[in-house]
Amino acid sequence: MTKLHIKATKSSPEILLDPTTHQHTLKGESYPENSLEFYREFFDWIDAYIDTLEDTQEVIFNIELIYFNSSSSKVLMDLFDIFDDACEDGKNIAVNWVYNEDNDAILEYGEEFAEDYENLKFNFVVI
Amino acid sequence: MIDSYYKFQQHLEREGIMFSFVGPVSHNVVEGVGTVLRNKMELEEVSMNVSLKVFSIFIEQIQNVIRYSADRIPQDNFESDISFGMLIVGEKNKQYFLIGGNRVTSEQKERLNDFLDKLATMNKDELKQFYKERRKAQPDEHSKGAGLGFIEMARKSSEPIKYNFEKIDNESYYFTIETVV
Repeated sequence: MTKLHIKATKSSPEILLDPTTHQHTLKGESYPENSLEFYREFFDWIDAYIDTLEDTQEVIFNIELIYFNSSSSKVLMDLFDIFDDACEDGKNIAVNWVYNEDNDAILEYGEEFAEDYENLKFNFVVI
Repeated sequence: MIDSYYKFQQHLEREGIMFSFVGPVSHNVVEGVGTVLRNKMELEEVSMNVSLKVFSIFIEQIQNVIRYSADRIPQDNFESDISFGMLIVGEKNKQYFLIGGNRVTSEQKERLNDFLDKLATMNKDELKQFYKERRKAQPDEHSKGAGLGFIEMARKSSEPIKYNFEKIDNESYYFTIETVV
C-alpha cells in the first residue's frame, strides 16, 4: 500500500495515512461541503489497509481535530465502527484523541465516542 | 433609498447585530464568513469554548439553510446547491445570538415542527442520547442528515432554541430559528 496524504483546507482536515509506520493522523477542521464525498478516498484506503493488516501490528490513529460538524461526527463514528470490528477480530488498533486543554467540546465528544466502543481503546492526549 | 442605508446599519448596530446576510449561500460563504467570525472573536479574546460554540451553531445553521431551503438552484449534488436564506449573528447582554431563516415547503414544515417540538422537551442528557441514536440511524432521504445539525444546535445553545413558521402561501412557510450562547 502507498501513503495517503491530503492537505488541509479551511473546512477539511489534513489526512496522513502511513502504512509503514502505522501511525495515522486526521488533523485540523472538518466541516466539508459534502462529507461523504470528501471522505470517500479516505475510507477506501482504510478498508484496503485493514484487509492487509497483521494482527500483531500496533496501529495508532491520531485524531487531532479542533472542530468538526455533525456530518463529520457521523464520519468519525463510521471510522470507529470499522476499527472496533477490526479489534474484535484481533487487530491491535488504538485511537489517540488529541485535544487542546481549552477545548471542552472536543474532549466531551471524544469521551462520548469512547463510552460507545467495547474493543477499540481511546487514549486522551492533552496539548 | 440611498439615504436610508445609514439608518439601516444603525438599526442593526443598536440590535447588537455584528453580521447579517440575506441571499444565496454556498460553501464559500460558509468558509469565508465562518473564518471571519472566529478571527473576530479571537481578537476580542473570547474563550475558545464560547467561540467554538458560536462557530459550531453558525456552521450547523448555515449548512441547514443550504440543505433545507426551499429556494434553491440545484447543482450536481444537493450539498453544492446554491440556496437562499438569512443568517444573523449578534451579541446582546453578553450573549451571542444566531438567527437563521429560509423558506420551507408545507410538507417540510410539518416534519421540522414535530422534530423541533420533540427537541424542546429534552434536557441536555436526553439530547446527547438522541444525538447518538440519530447518528447511528441511516439518514432518511427527506432529512438529508437525520436532523443531527438541529440536535447539535440544541446541545450547544444555553437556552431552548426558538423557532417560528410564518405562512407565506398554501405551499410554503418562512422558517426562523434562534439559538443563544
